[in-house]
Amino acid sequence: MMTLNLALRNLLRNRRRSIATLLAMAIGSASILLFGGYSTNINYTMLTAYVQSGGHLKIQHRDFYLYGSGDPTAYGIADYEKLMAAIKDDEVLRKMVLIVTPTLQFGGIAGNYSANVSRTIVGNGFVAPDITKMRLWDEYDLGNKPPMFPLEGAPADAAIVGTGVARVLQLCDALKLPSCPKPEKEAKPEGAAIPADIAQLSALETTAASTATPTSASRIEVLAGNSRGTPNVASLDVIRAERQGFKEFDEVYVMMHLAQTQQLVYGNSSPKVTSIMLQLRSTAQIPAATARLAPILAKFSVSQPLAVLDFQTLNPFYVQTIQLFDTIFGFIFALIGAIVLFTVSNTMNTAVVERTVEIGTLRAIGLRRGGIRWLFVTEGALLGLCGALVGVVLALVLSAIANRMGLTWLPPGSVDALPLTLTVWGETKMIAGTTMGLLLIAVVSAWWPAYRAAQLNVVEALRHV
Amino acid sequence: MTDDTDETNEDDVVAPSAASVRPLAQLTQVFKTYQMDSVEVPVIKGVDILVRHAKFTVLLGPSGSGKTTLLNMLGCIDKPDKGEIVVAEARVAEMADDDLSDFRAKNIGFIFQNFNLLPVLSAYENIEYPLLLAGATPSQRGKLIPRLLKAVGLADKAKNLPGQLSGGQRQRVAIARALARKPKLVIADEPTANLDSHTGATILALMRRMVDEYAISFIFSSHDPEVIKAADDTIVLKDGMIQEVWRDGEKVES
Repeated sequence: MMTLNLALRNLLRNRRRSIATLLAMAIGSASILLFGGYSTNINYTMLTAYVQSGGHLKIQHRDFYLYGSGDPTAYGIADYEKLMAAIKDDEVLRKMVLIVTPTLQFGGIAGNYSANVSRTIVGNGFVAPDITKMRLWDEYDLGNKPPMFPLEGAPADAAIVGTGVARVLQLCDALKLPSCPKPEKEAKPEGAAIPADIAQLSALETTAASTATPTSASRIEVLAGNSRGTPNVASLDVIRAERQGFKEFDEVYVMMHLAQTQQLVYGNSSPKVTSIMLQLRSTAQIPAATARLAPILAKFSVSQPLAVLDFQTLNPFYVQTIQLFDTIFGFIFALIGAIVLFTVSNTMNTAVVERTVEIGTLRAIGLRRGGIRWLFVTEGALLGLCGALVGVVLALVLSAIANRMGLTWLPPGSVDALPLTLTVWGETKMIAGTTMGLLLIAVVSAWWPAYRAAQLNVVEALRHV
Repeated sequence: MTDDTDETNEDDVVAPSAASVRPLAQLTQVFKTYQMDSVEVPVIKGVDILVRHAKFTVLLGPSGSGKTTLLNMLGCIDKPDKGEIVVAEARVAEMADDDLSDFRAKNIGFIFQNFNLLPVLSAYENIEYPLLLAGATPSQRGKLIPRLLKAVGLADKAKNLPGQLSGGQRQRVAIARALARKPKLVIADEPTANLDSHTGATILALMRRMVDEYAISFIFSSHDPEVIKAADDTIVLKDGMIQEVWRDGEKVES
């Protein structure tokens, strides 16, 4: 207490120098926290986007992640409804899981034969109401309200395509897509005309579909190999084009109702799915949910090896982005830490020189070397603590101002611009970590001057002018 | 406070001895040389000194005679190159640094020429500091410090910072600080040098009174022959050697 009191008064003694050091630390601390807040927001935004679209966990055939893109239907999960029921009935998982929903992925060709164009696609079948609910997940209170999933309430043959698919299939006019130019010179098809058997299949599908929906300019045919290896065709009405975050994905993505997809892929055979998505209440529940799923999956894995993958494994881009920002954060911390180190060290060195006689006096009246060391280290620690805390307040104020300015940004892999939020408030771990880190640096900075002060010869210190 | 009394029979004393005086501190054949760049400067050349219990001792001598070095060694903040130093029955030259610090805190008080008060602490807190080092309780401190402040005539200046006190008042605070832990020996290096003659005389009188009231040994250095009047013992130094020793007004060594 005596040392703390004396250290505090010594700091107040040369206010201008202490304030300059404190400000340098505060600005450093605030800079770290603001960048940390920005980085945190990117993390939350990307995480939320991934969880809203694909859930936290996916149950898949063990090999689907590595080999499934080539032939998704070969890795279908049989009895998936029983598996989903088992998950929903589990009393532990029930408390963690918000939504359990199946999806079916397949590869095929989509064609707009009236425009004589086609392209390869990756199709996905969803249970539309589940996807709408999944899009409401907002653990981090970002307040982003994604539009309702357009397939909900849409006819059974409805489909949503990426804007790239719509552009290539020349559906822009029909879908009234802005910024979707037609090619200046229409490409002439060089291949053979549509084969007679496929045309016949399509005609059958169109006839079946047209009983429910009138033919429109946005109709496409999707050809896929069914589970037995023979081709099957679905005639779909594209009701909307949604831009996907990545161009490569935007140009192949097609979303359909699960039932329609299963009909296309499995025909009259018993339907399967390629994934079961689980959305949890909280991201922190991933390990517990994964552990709880293991025995359930074991029961269903007798004839089909199943695995649970979390969204981080399934989305390496997310992990890489977070790692990149963490590296930048670390670099900024190191840079500011070095500035703090030299600033505090300089301040403490000056204090030792200025107070040499005082050090001699304290030693003469009986303060041990350790007491002198402790005194100067305490001063450094106080500077560090005050600087870091002022920095926290500064960061909170600046982030609050920035968050009210209505700035927006486009996160990597995202379609829509999102509010630019600096998430500092509530990030206790980041605030505590930064404060403790700067405090530690300040203590380390003060250590050498404190050691020097303690080693001073008493007689020489008393003689110092 | 110690209530030791002087049992010395000065008439018999030619050289200090345990039989003739009761020594509080004793330097025996002490040598000290300083290194000034590449030149060795002998400052103390084989000095024997005896400081008596509860006596007011003055070290007299011109600048460079070795007064401050001797005081530093008596105050246990400097060590001799050769010779023995015993203070309060302890051979201080053999002590480790932390032990010496504790020894100083317990047995020795310092009064400096420039007062050397801690500028961020009030008069009260400056006196309190050595007591805090000693682990005195709040109630002990609360009783002792006002008494000391009253004794040095600064009862109304307890809350003043050193910067708000005159030179004489600061030196009074320094005296109170030096006495706070009831030391056996108080070292004062030219305590009146930075004071005007009137204030210097007052401080001298105060120190004299403290020796009598608290039975503490005071040893201080000075250029001023006038201070001899206040002293019990006077040691005259020249060129690092003892020239004369006066005890209770009588010359005992030359």
